[in-house]
Amino acid sequence: MKPLLQMTDLHGGYGDANILHGVNLHVAPAEIVVIVGPNGAGKSTAMKAIFGLLKIRGGSVTVGGVDITGWEPNRIVEAGVCYVPQVDNVFREMTVHENLEMGAFLRSGDLSAAYDRVYGLFPDLKERRKALAGNLSGGQRQMVAMGRALMLEPKILLLDEPTAGLSPKYMEQIFQISRDVRDTGVAILLVEQHAKQALAFADRGYVLASGCNRHEGTGADLLADRDVADMFLGG
Amino acid sequence: MGALEIINFYLVPGLVVGSIYALGAVGITLVFAILRYAHLAHGDLATLGAFLGLGLVTALGISPYLALTAVMALTAVVAVGIDRVFYDYLRERPKIVTVMASLGIALMVRAIVQMVWGVDSQTYTRGIVRPENWFGIRVRDRELITIVAMIVLVVALQLFLQRSKWGKAMRAMSDNPDLALLSGVDNGKVVTITWVIVGGLCAAAGLFLGLNFELKAMMGWSMLLPMFAAAILGGVGRVEGAVLGGLIVGVAEEMSTLFLPTEYKAATAFAILLLMLLVRPTGLLRGKVL
Repeated sequence: MKPLLQMTDLHGGYGDANILHGVNLHVAPAEIVVIVGPNGAGKSTAMKAIFGLLKIRGGSVTVGGVDITGWEPNRIVEAGVCYVPQVDNVFREMTVHENLEMGAFLRSGDLSAAYDRVYGLFPDLKERRKALAGNLSGGQRQMVAMGRALMLEPKILLLDEPTAGLSPKYMEQIFQISRDVRDTGVAILLVEQHAKQALAFADRGYVLASGCNRHEGTGADLLADRDVADMFLGG
Repeated sequence: MGALEIINFYLVPGLVVGSIYALGAVGITLVFAILRYAHLAHGDLATLGAFLGLGLVTALGISPYLALTAVMALTAVVAVGIDRVFYDYLRERPKIVTVMASLGIALMVRAIVQMVWGVDSQTYTRGIVRPENWFGIRVRDRELITIVAMIVLVVALQLFLQRSKWGKAMRAMSDNPDLALLSGVDNGKVVTITWVIVGGLCAAAGLFLGLNFELKAMMGWSMLLPMFAAAILGGVGRVEGAVLGGLIVGVAEEMSTLFLPTEYKAATAFAILLLMLLVRPTGLLRGKVL
């Protein structure tokens, strides 16, 4: 299948020094792809590079064949890519429903179908739609963040460590919801600290180390790989 | 002294001046919340609004109340212009640079007012207005209109912030600017809308100050401290807090003359500001921590 998102030989970083030294990855439509790797491998950086949140010095990012390298974030959002940052990913002083409304900021017309879809994926949120997002638990806040991003009906959702700091129960729930989202036709690219669990649940995975591709393959293949295991899965 | 005297000589004037502070403090709190700096030209923008009102009143022979909307619109245009020419240029720099620049703008605006309208005190209308008597409580029409206009403007602003698409975008930008950008909110447009509102509120504060007292070049500048005290007292970023803070500072200033010489009136706002920063720096309604 033709890839939905393709990152080719990407070089870049925040300041003068490069953190990414030629990263290649692709995501097919309705596929869950996970990026794992040791600390400092450039996982989150690779994700931010898609969103133009750092200096790109080489390579390209395409979505549906269109080169989006260096675009402004709001144009990338319009192109169908939504990004959920790891921290500060909700509007704390706004209600759950208003957070979703902000997610749909670029859309006009009737949004009831979009609300139904998001509240269908996250029944917890429907109950607490009038609550301030800042008053929710960490897991529920992550759901608000994902819901906000889904309001634009993106083609691909980027999740930066969605399970960081969550209990195993919530981690499982986030993974389950991610599968549900994938089943509605949305591709997901996520960065994960919990490599074992993430590889077990994803369709495919990439292992990054020192800003380069180290391994790639299906989740099961990577879990079975000796080198991957030795590197950071704790044997 | 009876309760009626206290109401007539302290509470009513306190609420009137408090309403004027409230209009200014709401603007200050919006600039704090969305643009994240202390806007020191706030008072002088109010002065400009007051004198633009004088210009309309003398040129067209209309009442100052009729001039209000036009003055708000004109000052809003000036505020947006100042942002485009000066503040926007400094957006990527540390915020203290913009704070200092706004001090320069304050001096510049005041100098322009002095050049155009002179340095003498002026008034919109001549003659003495006798207060109306409402069951023993004496209120002048202009005092009543000041309080009512403040309430109407603040309610309208709150409705805009809570209900409208761009009002929500302003709250989102104040809450989490990065996420607002990731949601596709156009930062530049939010900044422009903010300055339209802030400029309009400044003009209203200036016009009502001129209406209840007199117009002079220093009128806005001397109101700066109580306006900042009000914004911080209420909780930075909280519109309703700024209103509450404005009314408290206004009433406290008037009440202070019961115990202290009148010259210390201005120090009351400063005392409230210091006390609040010491005891509860987030303000009465838990604002942002700066």
